[in-house]
Parts: sequence; structure tokens; C-alpha cells
Amino acid sequence: MRFKVWLMVIMISLFTRVAFAQESLEAPPGFASWDDVLSQANGQTVNWYLYGGSDAINGFVDTFYAPLLAEEYGITLNRVPVADTVDAVNQVLSEAEAGVAENSGAVDLIWINGENFFTLQQANLLYGPWAKTIPNSVLVDWDNPAINLDFGRPVDGYESPWSSAQFHFIYDSARIAEANLPRSFAELTAWIQANPGRFTYIAPGPGGYMGTRFVKQIFFELSGGQDQWLGDFNPTLYNGWAPQVWALLNDWSADLWRQGATYPANENEMRDLFANSEVDFAFTQEISGASVYINDGRLPETARAFAFTENMIGDFNYVAIPANAAHKAAALVLANLILQPNLQAAQVLPENGFGLGFGIDVSRVTETSDRLVLEESAANLGAGAADPAELAAALVSDLAAEYQTRVEADWEAYVLRR
Amino acid sequence: MSSADRVSSRQLVLLLAPALVLVLLLFGGGFAYSVLQSLGWQPLIGRTTLSLDAYHNLLFAPAYQEVFWSGLIFSLWVSTASTLLSAVLAVLIALLIHQAVQRSQLWSFLFQFNLPVPHLVAAIGMLFLLSQSGLVSRGTAALGLTTTPADFPVLVRDTSGIGIIIAYVWKEMPFIGVIVFGVLKSLNASVVQAARNLGANGWQRFRYIILPLIAPSLLSSSLIVFAFTFGAYEIPALLGVRYPRALPVTALFLFNDADLNSRTEAMALSVLITLVTSMVIGGYLWLRGIAQRLG
Repeated sequence: MRFKVWLMVIMISLFTRVAFAQESLEAPPGFASWDDVLSQANGQTVNWYLYGGSDAINGFVDTFYAPLLAEEYGITLNRVPVADTVDAVNQVLSEAEAGVAENSGAVDLIWINGENFFTLQQANLLYGPWAKTIPNSVLVDWDNPAINLDFGRPVDGYESPWSSAQFHFIYDSARIAEANLPRSFAELTAWIQANPGRFTYIAPGPGGYMGTRFVKQIFFELSGGQDQWLGDFNPTLYNGWAPQVWALLNDWSADLWRQGATYPANENEMRDLFANSEVDFAFTQEISGASVYINDGRLPETARAFAFTENMIGDFNYVAIPANAAHKAAALVLANLILQPNLQAAQVLPENGFGLGFGIDVSRVTETSDRLVLEESAANLGAGAADPAELAAALVSDLAAEYQTRVEADWEAYVLRR
Repeated sequence: MSSADRVSSRQLVLLLAPALVLVLLLFGGGFAYSVLQSLGWQPLIGRTTLSLDAYHNLLFAPAYQEVFWSGLIFSLWVSTASTLLSAVLAVLIALLIHQAVQRSQLWSFLFQFNLPVPHLVAAIGMLFLLSQSGLVSRGTAALGLTTTPADFPVLVRDTSGIGIIIAYVWKEMPFIGVIVFGVLKSLNASVVQAARNLGANGWQRFRYIILPLIAPSLLSSSLIVFAFTFGAYEIPALLGVRYPRALPVTALFLFNDADLNSRTEAMALSVLITLVTSMVIGGYLWLRGIAQRLG
């Protein structure tokens, strides 16, 4: 039923969207116009490589994007699930090493993050710049540094946003009362001492970028704010605060889960520990907090999300097109489609399984009906979601990529191997 | 064997050619490319000068050396322990089934049923079974032996690699066992019977008759297990901790590093892993050569 309503909404807004045909946008590299893109895309199969470890996300892509692509644009969506985005990157790299010809690569579109974006840029293997040439790019706030920088690196039109995320926590309201939640790292330190063995964090490092983010936020709090950390990597600043951060984490370790001998490697392991009641908090990036996992039964009905009062890192995630992609036209159409307001509204709703936030800026949506749908979605994130105002109040952006590398290497040397 | 059955060395080469070509092309080609990359060959990012820097970095540079040496010791410990335990248990159980249970089909099936189970599945199974909130832990909690997950002993994702060793023994024991069992089956029962008639006790019959007969296949299958466990990634990745971590896990970490320059160290580490395995196999062949010369 719900699905039918959505299809109707999507159909209606499609008609309104067609009238939107932009005049001022440049054509994507290699194409004469957006109409040229549409006509070349017709009949193509787009091979979209994306993280396939979540049935809910896979279902969302198959339900909301595939039928529209087929009906409206004559494009077949081939969703290629990968265990880790780096697998898609390795495919592109191997093709380049093996000398696979231009326009015949297997990968057309990648759901990508900052690290992998950096890797492909380093090898000069991305198609672009195209992100500001797709019609729906007018809905993207390209002036926002959280969008035009990815892990501190300029996007420069080589990737286009899909959705947004912000670091925060999941807890179980049956185990801890909301009033007793820690709201800063200082309060968390006290909580850990009072509840030995009940807290852990994700190991910063491969697969554990949320752990890296957690540690970066400690830098922000100890140093008295995130502002000073913006811009290029500042070794003096980093080296000044790093010993204090490692000292704090080492102070914690005796009271951590498994006395800090080991740490969960990624958010799934941490969520399992939380679900099995080995620890009392999990990390999340999803705007709908625990709602998606409550819906599919992996977390108890009483799971809730909350944020500290400050320093919660938020960012956007993107799609990119490899330089050797065989079906660039179809990839561009898909990258444009996922920014469509009604689909953006659908992706935040926990019952649709995706659970991440908007990639577009709602205030840029001029169509009233679209605005309403987006606002209604934002108001229906489920009981497991944190208060959006709480998240917004604590929002800070991520830092230059060098901080990530340093935090991961130093955490291993000064905390894990200590 | 009559002379008509004997193949000439030329025929032998021809007969082996398909397999050899495959091995040389797929393994040799891949290995040669790894060596090239380990020397710094990375045309994608404009690196084409060759050097031994990556090897030097792994062994001596502060950023890598601790991870390398601790990983080497950890991997050697896990592989040696897994191989020895698998071999001893395999021989024991194969003997038991062969002698006491009279070659029962059911028992030999039970002994070998997990051979086709992929290592990945074995690792995840161990995780479900033995983690602090796993099936066994829930059982002990239901029986009142433990009250919280933390009361249950740390068997997987432990710093000494116990979980990895358990998973490897579970997987490799039947592999060695099936080979030993095959030799035992073809063993002439009258030889053992004769020894028994001459007054040899159980230990003597094992030590002087059975062991020498199964030793070659036992040793070679154990070597395969050692080489495999030393170079395999999935079980230590799933059942190990971040530190100390097995060398293949570090190799993949480096390979997948966002910075493509790290691939040089990743390949150097893979080459070093291959080198260690080759040294173990070379050592075995050398010792066997000596033993044969000594008669």
C-alpha cells in the first residue's frame, strides 16, 4: 500500500520535473547536451557498484531506482554488490593496469567515500568534472564546504552527493534512562569509570572510519572546539593535542570492554556487541538512528539514538564515474535520478531501509509539493532516531585527510600496542 | 612395472604440460608481477624506478617494523600450532577409526564431513559458537554457570590466536586425516598382525610399523597445511584481533590503503610470506634428502 502511494508520488513529481529542463547548465564532458546524455543512455545497462552488505539498502535501490530507470529512461540497472567499496576501486585499478580500453570498463558508477575517492583521483581514473552538469545539481548546496570537500579534499565535480550522515550514538532506553546519558567526552569518561566493561569504540583503521571519527571528536572537545582544525593539516596543532588524547584513551582502557585488549573493527561488529548486551552503546551514522534496525528486528524496540551536545562530525557520501566506464550516459542519468526530491524524501524514511539523510538542500527545492514530501519525511524518522535539532546543534564538518591517516597510525602505536 | 608401461621423460613433460602451463602462467605470472610491484613498479601513479625500499621499510622502518615482526611471530605461532595439533589429532582419530571401529562408514563420514566447508563459513561458525555472546556462552548462561557475556572465556578474537587455531584445527585435521586414513586402508594388515604375534605392544606397532609407513604422506600434508595457514587471510581476519595480527591481514590492509603508494609494501609483504613458506618447504625437502641418503 505504502509502496503504491510512493509510486504515485514519484509519478506525479516526474511530470513536474520534466518542465524543469535547465538552460544554463553546461553539458557533461563528452556530451553535446543533457538531451544527448538521455538519448545515449536509452537502452544502456548501468553497472552500479555499491556496498552490498545491507539487504535493506539493496532492497531500496531495487525498489525505488530500478523501475524508474527502466520506465522513464530505458536504462537497465545492474546493481553489483561489493563487500567493501575498495573492491570496486580495485576493479577499476586492475582494468587500468591490464590496459582495458577506454569506454569498456566494467564499472559505470561507484557509491564512494573520501578514501576511495582519493585513491582513484591519485591514479587519475575518474571521469569528470560532471557533478555540476546534471540537472538536479541545482538542488545541491555546492557552496557548503561539507559538500564541496570530501575528507578535506576538493570534489571539483568528480563526484556528486547521494546522501548525508552524522556520527552519533545508539543506546537502549530499557538499560539507560535518557537523563543519565553522557553528553560530552568528559561525561563519557565518568560513565565509563562508573560502568566498567560496558563501553568500547570502533578501532580507528581499515573499515573503522567511524572509530577514527570518534577519536577526532575527542580532539575537538579537549582542544576547545573544531574551528581551529579546519583547513590544511596542521602538524603543530595535532602534535600538541595528540598525547592528551592518547592519555585519555589509555586511561579508559582498563574499564573498557575486554579491558581494551581488542576493539570492534567496524560498526556492524559494534552493533552486534550492543545487541548482544556486551556493551551499552553503538555508533551510528544514520539519520534514522536505530529505526532501520528496529524495523528489521536486529535491535530491540527500546533502542534509541542520541548525540553529544557538540562536535558530532557529519558529512555527505557520493557517487563517482570511472574514466573508463562503458556507460557514462546511463551513469549520469542515475546520478541525477538519486537527487530527485521525491526519491530523496523516500531514502530517509526508516521503513524504506536506507536510513541516511538528504543529499540535497531542502531549501533549494522550489516545487511546493516536493517540499512538503521532504518535510514530511524528515518528520517521520521513527522512534529510534535522534532529535534532528540535537543533531543539527552538534554538527561539525570532517577534516583534511591527513588527520585520518595520522589518527589511525598513532592510535595503533600509542593506544593499541602500548 | 614393465618397461612398456614406463613413459619417457619427453612423454612425461608432454603429459604434465597442461598443468605446468597453468601453474607457471597463473601462479608464476602473478608472483612475478607481485615481485615487480614490490620493487616499486606503479605506473598508474607514475612510479617506475625499482628499489628494495619497501622491504627495508617493512623490516626496519618505525612505521612498519613492529607490525611486521609481531605479525611474523604471530603467524608462525598460529601456523605451527595449528599444523601440529591437526597432525596429531588426525593420526589419533584415523587410527581409532581404522582399528577400533573397523572402518565404519559412518565414523569416517563424521570425521571428514567438514572437508568441503569453506574456511569463511568455518570462521563465522566459530564466531557464532564461541564468542562471548555466542551459542555456548548462552548455554552456560542458561545453566547458570555465567551471568554476563564477560564471564565467558575469551576464545575468539583473543590476543593469542586461540580462536584462529581452533578454526584451523577443525578444518585441517580431516584434511590430514583423509590422507593418513587412505594410507592406513592400503596397509597390509598381516604386517601389523605379524608384529603383534612377535610380541610388539601397541606403541611399538605404531612407532616401528605404522608411523614409518604414514610418515611421508603425514609430513607432506602437514606442510600443505602449514603453507596454507601461513598465507591465508579470511580466518585470522574474522577471528583475530587488530594487534597482534597475522601477516596476510596486514598485507591486505596495506593493499587496500587509500594511498596507492602503500601497495609497494603490500606486495613486498606478500613476497616475504611466500618466501617463508618456500623456506619451510625447502627445509623439508633438504632434510628428506639427507634422510634418504642416510638410508
